[in-house]
Amino acid sequence: MGHRSYVGQSPPRREDPGLVAGAHRYVADIVVPGCLDAVFVRSFEAHGLLNAVDLAAAQSMEGIVGAYSAGELPDLPVTPAPPRAEVPPEMSWPALARDRVRFAGQPIAVVLAADRYTAEDGAELVFADIDPLEAVIDPGPAASDEVMLFEPRSNVVSVREFGAPVDDVMDSAPVVVETIIRNERLCPTSIETRGIVVVPDGDDITVHVSHQAPQRLRQSLARSFGIEAELVRVIVPHVGGAFGAKSQTYPEYIVIAHLARKLGRPVRWIEDRREAFAGATHGRGQTQRLRLAADREGNLLALEALVDADIGAYPHTGEFIAANTGWMLSGPYTIPHLHVRVRAVVTNTTPTAAYRGAGRPEAAYALERALDRLAHRLGADPAELRLRNFIDRNEFPYRSPTGAVYDSGDHAAALRLALERAGYDDARAEQRRRRTTGDGNPLGIGIGSYIERSGGQEGSTEFGSVTIEPDGTVVARSGATPQGQGHATAFAQVVASALEVELDRVSVIQGDTDEVPVGVGTFGSRSMQVGGSSLHHAAHDALEEARLRASAHLEVAEADLRYDDGRFTVVGTDRSVTLGQLATERALSAQAEFGPPQAFPFGTYVAVVELDRDTGDISLEKLVAVDDCGIVINPKLVEGQSVGSIIQGIGQALYEQVVFDEYGQPLMSSLMDYSLPTVAELPELVLDQTVTPNPNVPLGNKGAGEAGCIGTPPAIVNAIVDALGGRDEGIDLPVTPEKVWLVLSRSD
Amino acid sequence: MFPSRFDYSAPDSLDEALATLGQRADETKVLAGGQSLIPLLKLRFAAPATLVDINRIPGLDVLEESNGHLRIGTLARHNQLAADSLVGRRYPTIASAAPQIADPLVRNLGTIGGSLAHGDPAGDWGSVMLALNAEVVVRGPTGERRIPIDDFLVDIFTTSLNEDEIVTEVLVPQPEGSFGGAYLKLERKVGDFATVGVAVHLELDGDTIARAGLGLTAVGSRNIKPTNAENALGGNKCSDELFAEAARLAAEAADPVSDVRGPATYKRAVVEAYVKRGLAEARDQARARAGRT
Repeated sequence: MGHRSYVGQSPPRREDPGLVAGAHRYVADIVVPGCLDAVFVRSFEAHGLLNAVDLAAAQSMEGIVGAYSAGELPDLPVTPAPPRAEVPPEMSWPALARDRVRFAGQPIAVVLAADRYTAEDGAELVFADIDPLEAVIDPGPAASDEVMLFEPRSNVVSVREFGAPVDDVMDSAPVVVETIIRNERLCPTSIETRGIVVVPDGDDITVHVSHQAPQRLRQSLARSFGIEAELVRVIVPHVGGAFGAKSQTYPEYIVIAHLARKLGRPVRWIEDRREAFAGATHGRGQTQRLRLAADREGNLLALEALVDADIGAYPHTGEFIAANTGWMLSGPYTIPHLHVRVRAVVTNTTPTAAYRGAGRPEAAYALERALDRLAHRLGADPAELRLRNFIDRNEFPYRSPTGAVYDSGDHAAALRLALERAGYDDARAEQRRRRTTGDGNPLGIGIGSYIERSGGQEGSTEFGSVTIEPDGTVVARSGATPQGQGHATAFAQVVASALEVELDRVSVIQGDTDEVPVGVGTFGSRSMQVGGSSLHHAAHDALEEARLRASAHLEVAEADLRYDDGRFTVVGTDRSVTLGQLATERALSAQAEFGPPQAFPFGTYVAVVELDRDTGDISLEKLVAVDDCGIVINPKLVEGQSVGSIIQGIGQALYEQVVFDEYGQPLMSSLMDYSLPTVAELPELVLDQTVTPNPNVPLGNKGAGEAGCIGTPPAIVNAIVDALGGRDEGIDLPVTPEKVWLVLSRSD
Repeated sequence: MFPSRFDYSAPDSLDEALATLGQRADETKVLAGGQSLIPLLKLRFAAPATLVDINRIPGLDVLEESNGHLRIGTLARHNQLAADSLVGRRYPTIASAAPQIADPLVRNLGTIGGSLAHGDPAGDWGSVMLALNAEVVVRGPTGERRIPIDDFLVDIFTTSLNEDEIVTEVLVPQPEGSFGGAYLKLERKVGDFATVGVAVHLELDGDTIARAGLGLTAVGSRNIKPTNAENALGGNKCSDELFAEAARLAAEAADPVSDVRGPATYKRAVVEAYVKRGLAEARDQARARAGRT
């Protein structure tokens, strides 16, 4: 029996011809006749009392259709709280600032015109009268409530704890290392910025938006405006990157939808790069105090982490992202006692939300840096220290001290493979030679082992349906909506494999709530693990229904049917019926909303760096990434995800940082200020994998796509500190040449 | 990030461009490659009433040796200079700097005249031209002026170019004897402005330095010519000690500020390291050239 399977293959990406030809349409390419362009006027103060917004000059300017502040829009809903976040009502995020501004970049007013040039001219004429208040930009001082954002309420929005205090273990442990780590704020920086077009039609609205979760946005808009979800259609065209920051409902979306409904005219807003830096959500932003205890052999005894998460001016997704950090802090290690306290603290900065990794990079970086400090203290090889403490491969499923249940793993195998691919022993020998002879620049080798969590919220499902058409083609629908990952290719592989039909017969529909009304979305490395599994189940159910029909149609028992390439044949005869024929009289379709447990991909990264003795310049010579995301459906797509995620990890390690001055002014307005790495910054990259199947999904796959930005930063920074002989004072993220130079010049 | 309203003119001749510019010079900007001006317009940091686009004027992209100089037309693109074989053979400092400017997109459009006229102390060409003792040729309503580069660069975003003048050419003296040169640039990442840049040009007579030229990028309110360092080198024999002394003097001449690209002390240290390295590289090139002839 021929079995056609596309699992493990890399057919050409269906998305590529349109991308290469520039034929894909993004939100800004959508032409709606009569559409108005919106420009937001944003606060120039980080904190202040908003006394008045003078719109008169803008309103009277020729070509301006309307100019509005919160005062003109009494019915304007607030920004809806994202799912799972704890947002006290008194801290809700107004769509346009009312009475108070709390971060530089906060929308204060909006100006509409027939074109963007005119709208920007009008926006220049809006004057906001703001009495500045003292700003607080660091979560530590903010937590002391000396400057309050929402008096009388504390700036500390929530405190989450995992485990119980471990002071007694710390007091008696032979070795305790302490470290304070600042995980810097980052801008998600997708090439396509945010954008939305809202087209009203009576009570209906059609929303074209660059988004990761159209079904969720639809529900959220419907709730905000008090209308039935059926009246809202959300369409996501091609998306030029999202990285977690396009999964929410933002103030600008509420304003645009409100105005389109109010005016009965299409309105669009296309974010510009300056707004994307100041007004769109940031990621990361944590201060972590760690204590790690061990015995003299290096067996870990206890970990304590006190985390202050800077979640910006309004509690949003960032409020629970920090909880992910706490939840993942024990990493791939057996740590008998653990205590994590995570405080989410508001500051006068841009609100934070998900950014690729979303809590896990912060956890992995802190733990891996602390482990290297411990190795240095013990005089132990960092690889040996990790091997000594990894959860044993026979202990899975493993319940971590925070309550996470790791499905499967072989962490030692991944680390050993990474060391081998990095030429670890040779690199150590060369390092010893340089240190002994004084020849050449300082060389460092760093390890970052990680475990991450894929699948999104525990128990969350994804919608998938498979419909067989009378012509024998197959239509797959998924709630997982892509932002460039290649879902249309990979989902077709899953469905074609399950139905054992030619790949080209399967088409994939996503990103339109009229076509796919139910769905969760693409984030948390969940699309293939959850959405792919649902499609697999739906395809199997459709095939079983077809088998029943074939049995009836051909008047034989199912056992007498042979299935091959879309055709049932009665064994030993030439009597047969095709899938298409079975779908002619009655629709042949099945759907599934599968919700597997979370999965825990893992791996080890090894970086080799060389430092310029005179300038501190950092040369990343090699980066080895060994990931285990279970069975891989499409290796090429996973490789693409790895490389992209690694570049973002390199960005966090060496280049990127959102900087505010003491008054809360963001010190970046363009990509010339914000140092985003490009392909030119890529080192020699060695990608490899181990394969530990996920026992909880039919195809054995786990999430891929976030690992790179989790494993890369600790590997690189550990390598730099290793080259510096373990001296890490001032080696904070991002590690720039001058920080290295300062350490080098102190020792000379 | 959409510009304010402006008038646009794209004349076919320099005279016409000068005439348009002369009508309201204080409110008019000349558009060459646009790689600095267009972003400024989009951010509305600049809002000129008129743009005079000189890209259609023929002859402004000349690149040839004549009368003891390399003539570089104002519209010569950075990539043109990076790829030119004459430049590659005879002007190593230029050849070294050109491919390090910004990124390929900027190099395809950005021009040497536009870059110099912008007067950005983080611009690379200013330092290269200081090291090479170049002159800037400008045309205005009353005719042509030749301005030594050290007089052309005045302060941050300020040059001695008058509002009604247009840069037409850069003149670089032809090198003599055995020569070498290099441009060393520390940047956060490819395409970024320099954290520090150092331009070095050496002409040797045997092992004696007949001429030394240096220029420093992004360590002052304009590109800096460390003349004390140049003078210390001139007339002396190449040695590591001499280079170290010159590097020390160059670092002294630097006047950097602390910013997102690093503290001032660090930038000074990089100047010192790079001048030393640049001189050694230029010396090695010059010796190799001497060996070939």
